[in-house]
Order: sequence, then structure tokens, then C-alpha cells
Amino acid sequence: MIVEFGAFALVLALALSVAQTGLSAAGGLRRSGALAGAGRGAALGAFAALACAFAALIYAFVTSDFSVANVAANSHTAKPLLYKVAGAWGSHEGSMLLWCLVLTGYGAAVAVFGERLPPRLRAWAVAVQGALGVLFLAYTVFASNPLARLADPPVEGRSLNPLLQDWALAVHPPFLYAGYVGFSVVFSFAVAALIEGKVDAAFARWVRPWTLAAWSLLTVGITLGAFWAYYELGWGGWWFWDPVENASFMPWLIGAALLHSAIVLEKRGALPGWTVFLALAAFGFSMLGAFLVRSGVLTSVHAFAVDPTRGVLLLSIMGIAAGFGFLMFAIRAPSLNAGGLFAPVSRESAIVLNNIILSAATATVLLGTLYPLIREAMDGEAVSVGPPFFNLTFTPLLVLALAILPAGPLLAWKRGDARLVVRRLWLALLVAAILGLAAYAVVTPRKALASLGLVLGFWLIGGALAELAERVKAFRAPWAEVRRRAGGLPRGAWGTTIAHAGLGLFVLGACFETAWKVETAQALSVGGRIELGGYVLTLTDVGTLEGPNYLAERGIVRIEKQGGGLVCTAQPERRFFPTGGQTTSEVALCPRGLDDLYVVIGERRAGANDQPAWLVRAYVNPWVRLIFLGPLVMALGGAISLSDRRLRMGVARKAKGAQA
Amino acid sequence: MIGFWIAAAGLSAAVAALVLRGAARGLAPAGDDPALAVHRRQLSEIDELAERGLLAEGELKAARAEAGRRLLAAADQSAAWPREGLGPRRVVVTIAALAPLLALGLYVVVGAPGAPDQPFARRVAEWKAGDPAMLDPPRIVAILEQAARGKDGANPELYRNLAIARMAGGDAVGAAEALRKAVRLAPQRADLWTALGEAFVTSEQGQVGADARTAFTEALKRDPGDVSARYHLAKALIADGRVEEGLAGWRQVRNALGSEDPRRDVLDAEIARTAKAGRLVDAVPQQAAAGEVTPDMIQGMVEGLAQRLAAAPDDPEGWVRLVRAYAVLGDAARRDAALKDASQRFKDQPRVLAALRQAADTPAQNLNLPRSDGR
Repeated sequence: MIVEFGAFALVLALALSVAQTGLSAAGGLRRSGALAGAGRGAALGAFAALACAFAALIYAFVTSDFSVANVAANSHTAKPLLYKVAGAWGSHEGSMLLWCLVLTGYGAAVAVFGERLPPRLRAWAVAVQGALGVLFLAYTVFASNPLARLADPPVEGRSLNPLLQDWALAVHPPFLYAGYVGFSVVFSFAVAALIEGKVDAAFARWVRPWTLAAWSLLTVGITLGAFWAYYELGWGGWWFWDPVENASFMPWLIGAALLHSAIVLEKRGALPGWTVFLALAAFGFSMLGAFLVRSGVLTSVHAFAVDPTRGVLLLSIMGIAAGFGFLMFAIRAPSLNAGGLFAPVSRESAIVLNNIILSAATATVLLGTLYPLIREAMDGEAVSVGPPFFNLTFTPLLVLALAILPAGPLLAWKRGDARLVVRRLWLALLVAAILGLAAYAVVTPRKALASLGLVLGFWLIGGALAELAERVKAFRAPWAEVRRRAGGLPRGAWGTTIAHAGLGLFVLGACFETAWKVETAQALSVGGRIELGGYVLTLTDVGTLEGPNYLAERGIVRIEKQGGGLVCTAQPERRFFPTGGQTTSEVALCPRGLDDLYVVIGERRAGANDQPAWLVRAYVNPWVRLIFLGPLVMALGGAISLSDRRLRMGVARKAKGAQA
Repeated sequence: MIGFWIAAAGLSAAVAALVLRGAARGLAPAGDDPALAVHRRQLSEIDELAERGLLAEGELKAARAEAGRRLLAAADQSAAWPREGLGPRRVVVTIAALAPLLALGLYVVVGAPGAPDQPFARRVAEWKAGDPAMLDPPRIVAILEQAARGKDGANPELYRNLAIARMAGGDAVGAAEALRKAVRLAPQRADLWTALGEAFVTSEQGQVGADARTAFTEALKRDPGDVSARYHLAKALIADGRVEEGLAGWRQVRNALGSEDPRRDVLDAEIARTAKAGRLVDAVPQQAAAGEVTPDMIQGMVEGLAQRLAAAPDDPEGWVRLVRAYAVLGDAARRDAALKDASQRFKDQPRVLAALRQAADTPAQNLNLPRSDGR
């Protein structure tokens, strides 16, 4: 009964999305408060119904109801509860339902929190969001129904891919989808504004919190994914320019560009066309990601089952949604007001430069991701585009963007004074250069490029702090005045500083880890030792272990400082999941401050003297924690900005104050 | 089913109420155009920027003029929404009623009306309550796994049965896992160690690997006469190139088998083949594909079951399985003997008798096994 209730609720959500689209559009068109209000009510109803459907799917997973085809294909009775729940979004069908849940959730959020939006813009935005809901829900109901039943249920399920049975991966998709689909609201606002023909400062103000929320959540989602790849896949890396990683990175880059261009539009009324274009593109890239992962055109650890029919359907949805958005853009763009003027050296110019670089970087990622597909379609040749391409194209662009970043927030609007900026930043640059030189001198082996990378990281952090110091007049005003200023600083300013410093932390981690990580791999029998990066690793024992749904060999690796005491005991595992016959590596991580000691145990093999031996791979990953900490700090910056009163509700309050 | 209709009607009513409430709220007169507030605030922010040095003195006037123009433009376009008649309200009520009906129609097409939930626990309870003879190996596995999670979790016999059922279902790895638990619970039992070794051999496609050797060695420590363990350890010697030692071991095993034992002929043939070739031959056809049950294994399992029933005959389910096993193997003589024995023993239990008869009627499958009548 519960499963079928869920199936009904899913179809009801589709019907309500149709109602939401029709009512809201009619409300916007006829300027009818009743119709637009009813459309908002339908948006809430669609979300409520979909929440019921999703709860029913989770119930089916938790109770191992194998009469639900999706549960039979992706769950197993022996799976721990967390992964039974996570199984609900571990498959193509279930994850589409999550996508729809988030989509309708954002629609409901616009309906509830959009009280201060102009009624027509709000009505059109809810209508467009409803239309997106209709497209994706129709696809879910008719082509990928997660609650479809089996007449003859199997005794046992086929289980979830063991690589996905991991806490980081259990929580990674909800964050990722909250980010991806968050851009749907931005898209809906953009289309609504284009329908209205009003892309102005007010539009930017309303679109900015949604962009911030989506971008911050996407940042967390991507970081969790990278962390999972780092410790679950067992190859010691955290980013491989895998097509599906790229698919999540492109909307992130465009989202970052949009965050900045929306500020220009909001403060200065400039760049309306460009901003609305980015708003359309961000969700366009989200949909491209959904298509790439689900169509079977890519081979990747992330890709769902190969299914060309579903791929074509998703491509059609993307074509309809993005096509309509860009058609509206083409119609309205010529009439958009160019907005305020600005000089070549100004805050606006810096942000335009940031946008150009971020867009070019997105284009290179897009090219690298799609090139193998294009080549294969053109001449049937299978090529792969890997890290060397991205290191050569993406990295220089990023370096340029990062180098100019600290100057941006210190430049004046309209016409900036470059000399003034240099005066305010010289100390940050000097400190960064000294720290970089120190790294070059001290860290062995000497690496000039990596040291330059560190200069860049310190420059970003120093620049962010310098800007903060400037705003609170640190070292220039009495302490009480500084404190008063810091207390009065809007949260948006704190958010900017924190996010830019977080980026600096990431750059430090990425440069240090990539340049100075050391690794070794050796077959060890019990009692065998390896030396690595100042540590001695001894395999003291290997035992077997029975997990809830796997058997494992667990190595006990004693890690000591060379000539010193015990650092930690690592316990890497090699797990065998009988249900799918798959084997996974469970990496053992020993955190040492910002560094990680990373140990993987391989298959048992015959060693010397008939003793069994295991391939033990070990890495010392210096500063690797910054790679994950940095983006989380960036997301925190986004969240703090989001909590700024001015973005939430302060518009009317402050305006009243201004009137008074 | 009635629960479904109540829940569906409740949800439909709730969402219809949301639509109607939204419409009612939408009728309330709107305040100032919020866009004007944004533009006013823009104007007020300009001074703040100038104070922070982010807008040069010279630009201040131009920026104010730009923001002022934007405010005026927004004010020009701003207009309150008209008062509404009854038309839109009727539309809203109609749609609030139609959406659930449309959903219901669609649901009948894409859903499975009336299909009950089938939580795993409930299905297992139903299988347990039903006729055990009608259960196939996966269902028996499910019942035993559930029992293992309950208070029977410390019963080695349960894990042994679980292993037999898993093996019969083609899951040699799962069988080994169950037997691992069994030997942990009853390490003194040689038969469990042997069964564990056999499960390893099956899961490794007939190879007597390191794990299997350890298990067979443990079995021999407890029962030096264990035929299967001796056979497999000797086979391991041959695989390692110690052919003569291995063959000697096999010959001892052969002599230990009773003259009626059908395995004797099979082993004779294997000894002859191996002695001729000087290595293990015909290994590939004898090896089962991954997950399949080898004839050796089935034979061993059936023998084990028969021995167990001889020792503890009060096990109707076991007799049904034994009869069915003989029937599947095409061993009519033993099938009939077991059927007779069991029918006598459970003559007061019509359900068991029916199950036994049904099991005896199971068609034979060609598994290329030696038969007890020597054919």
C-alpha cells in the first residue's frame, strides 16, 4: 500500500506541476493574484506529493521490498541501514526522483520565500520552475519510474555497487543535486525576467541568494565527491578530470562567474545581458551533466547504466528547456539596457575579466570533456583527454584569474585607482613572496613552479585579509573603532573574505600535495617494512574480518617516525562483496596535521619462502587536508553571505530607513 | 487497499487545499512594488561606497544620476494588479479538483493498483509458514539467514544447512562464508572443516587453494580418516607437482572407501588418467564455472545429508530434501529406499507424506554423476 501510495503521489506531483505551470503563467499573463497564488499553492502541493513519493521509495529500500524493481536492482538485505537509505538515490531512477524532489523543493521555496518579489516576476518564475518540473517528472514517471513493480519479485536483491557504499557518497548526491538543481531557480528567474523584459538591478538582487545557495551546496557536493574519490578509489588522487567530475565542475565555474557578474548588475546596473546569459548557462550545464552521466555516452565510475533511449529523452529535455531559455534571450537581448558606464580600471572591469577567464576555463573543460565524444562521432576513433590537456589549458587561465583576484574587491566602482590598490596590497604580496621563497629554499626536492603556486595561495589569503583590514581600518584606527567597524561589517563582506581565503587554502593544498607527495608500493609479508617520507611502515599482521555484507582482509600497519615513536596504526582493508563478486579497497588514513599518511593493501600473493605477501601502497600526502578544507571554507563564506540581512529581507527595511 | 484510497484521498485533499489557500492569499492586495525598494536602496548605497573610497568624488554624481534614472524607470513600469472577479476563482477550484483526478487516471495506467507492499520480513515469514518442500534454495537461504540473525545465530548446524542451501543455489562463496561461521562456533567438528574446504574448492573452480588446504588440514587433525579431506590434500600435492605422493594418497583413499561406494570407480578412473599423464588432467571439464556446483560437491552434500539423517532422523524437512536430491540425481534405488524409510517414520503426518511424494516425483537432471547401481 505504501509503495503504491508513493506511485500515486509521484503522478500527483506531475499533475500539480502541470497545474503550477498553467496557473502561474495565466496569473502572470492576466495579472491575476488568485491564479498566481493558486500556482504557488500547486508548487507547494507538488513538493509535498513528491516528498511522499520519496519517503515511499526510502521505505521500500529500508524494508527490502524487492517487488519494487529499483530496490531489487540496487539493494540487498545484508546491506547496512545507511546504505539501504542511500540506495534510494544510488540508482538512475532513484536519483532522478531526488532531482525532481529538489526541483519541486526549490519551486516551493520560491513560492514561500518570494514574498518580496514583484508579483509578475514571481509568477513567471514559478511557472518556469513548474514547466521544468513537468519535463523532469514526466521523464521520471514514464521512462524511469523508481516505484515500478515486479510481478515476480526475486528472493534477494542485486545490491548497490560496493564503491558507492560509503558515507561520503551517501551524502554527496543530495548536496550535489541541491547545487545542480538550485541553478534551476536561477534559470527560472532569468527566463521570467526575459519574458518580462526587465533584467535590472532588482533582478540581480533576487537571483543572487539563489545563486549563492546553489553554488555553496554544489561546492560541498563536489568536495565530498573529491574526498570520496580520494579515500575510496585508493589511487591516492582526488581529481582526475573524469568527464563526470567535469560535468559538475562546469556549472560550478559558471555559477562562480554569475555570482560576480550579478554583483555588477546589482550595484551598477551593468552587464544585464551577460548576467542573464550566465543564469541560463548555469542550469544548462547542470542538465548537460545529468545527460552525460545518464545517457551512457561516457564511461566513468560515476556513470549510471548505459541507456541510449533515456539519453535521447534527457537530451530532448535539455534541448527544450535550454532552447526556450536561449530563444527568449535571443529575442530580448537587443533591447536590454547596457547599464552604467565604467572605466578600464574599475571594480566592474576586474569582474568582467574574472568572468571572461571563468567562462574561457569552462569552455576548455567543456572541450576536453566532449572532444572524445566528438572525435568518436566524426571518425569513430576512441581518444581520451586526460590531465595533461587540462594542466596546459585550464591551469594557466586559473592562475591568471587568481593573480588578479585580490585586487578586485579593493578597486573602486566606475573608475578605480591602480596605484591605490597596489599601496593596499603590497604587504600581502611581499609576505606571499617571502613564504613562497622560504618554501623553495626549505622544502626538498626544490620545485620552482610549485613554490610559485604557494605564492599564489598565500597571495589570495593575504589579499583577502588585506581587504578586510582596509574595511575595518585595522592598524590605522584605534582598536575600539576597528572593533566597531568589524561588528558593523555586513555578513556579505565577511562571506567574500572567507570564500576568497578558502580558495587560497585550496590552492596551497593542491600545489603542495601535487608537487611534494611521495609514494611507494611494495609486496610485504607479515613483519615486512617500508620507508617513506621520514616514516617507517611495518606490516605487523593481516587478519580476516566479516563485515555486514562483505568479507575483508585487514592489514595492521604500524607507522613510526624514522628514529622516533609510533605515529599511528593504519588498518587498510581489502573487501570482497560476495553479492556482486566485487572487491574494493578500504584506504587507511592517518591524519598528521594537514598531511595524510595513506595506506592501501592489495591482493594476497605468494611471497618469498612460501610466505604470503600483500602489495602495500603507501603515500605521504602533504597539506592534502587543505584541498578539502579550502572548498568547505569557500562554501562557508557563501553560507555567511547568504545569511546577510540585505539578501534575505533587508530590502524593504533598509529602504524604509533610507526614505526616513 | 482501503488504506491506499484513504491515503490517496487525504493527500489529494491536502494539495487541493494548498492550491485554494494559495489563491485566497493571492487575492490580498499587494504592497509597494518591491523593485522600487531595491532601486531606492541602490541610491542610498552610493554614499556608503563613496565613504569607503570605492567611488571617486568625480563619479559620485554620475552614479547617483544613473541610479536615479533606474529608479524612475522602475517606477514608470510599476503598476498594481487589478481587482479580480469570480472568473479566476472558478478556474482555480476546477483545477484543484481536476489535478488529483488527472493523477488518478494516470496512476491507473502507470501504477500497479492493488499491488501490496512486500517487505522482505513478511515474505520470509510467509515462506516459513508454507510447505517447506515447495521452497527453492534461495528461499531456504533467506529463511536460514533470518534465523541466523535471530536467537539461532550460535547454532553451527544452522550455518551448515545455510551453506548447503547456498551451494544448491550456486553460491559457493556464500556457502564458504556460512561454513566459516560454523567452524568458528564448533571448531571440533571435522565435517564442518571438510565442508568448508569443499566450498573453497568449488568457489575456486576446482583448485585446492591455500584456504582450502588449511581447512582440510584442520579436518584431518580432528578426523584423520576423513575421505574428502585426504582426497583433496592429495590432489593439492599433485597440483604442486608432487604427483607420486599425491597418487599414493589417492590410492589410500580408494582403499578406504567401501566396495559398494560409487566414488571408488570415479577415483579409479581419475588415478589411471593422472598416472598416465603425470599431472592432473581433464581438470577443465571437471571444474565447474564460477558459482556452479560440481558433481563432487553435490554427491558430498547428499552423502552428508544421508549420514546426518541416519544419526538424527527426526527431521522431516531433511528427508524431503534427501528424497528430492536422489530424485534429481536420477538415483531411483536410493530415492525409493529413502522415501520408504521416511514414509514409515512420518506416517502420521499427511503434510510431510505429501511433500515426500512430491519430492520423489521431481524429474531427474543429467548431472553426469555416478549412480549407486553402477551404471
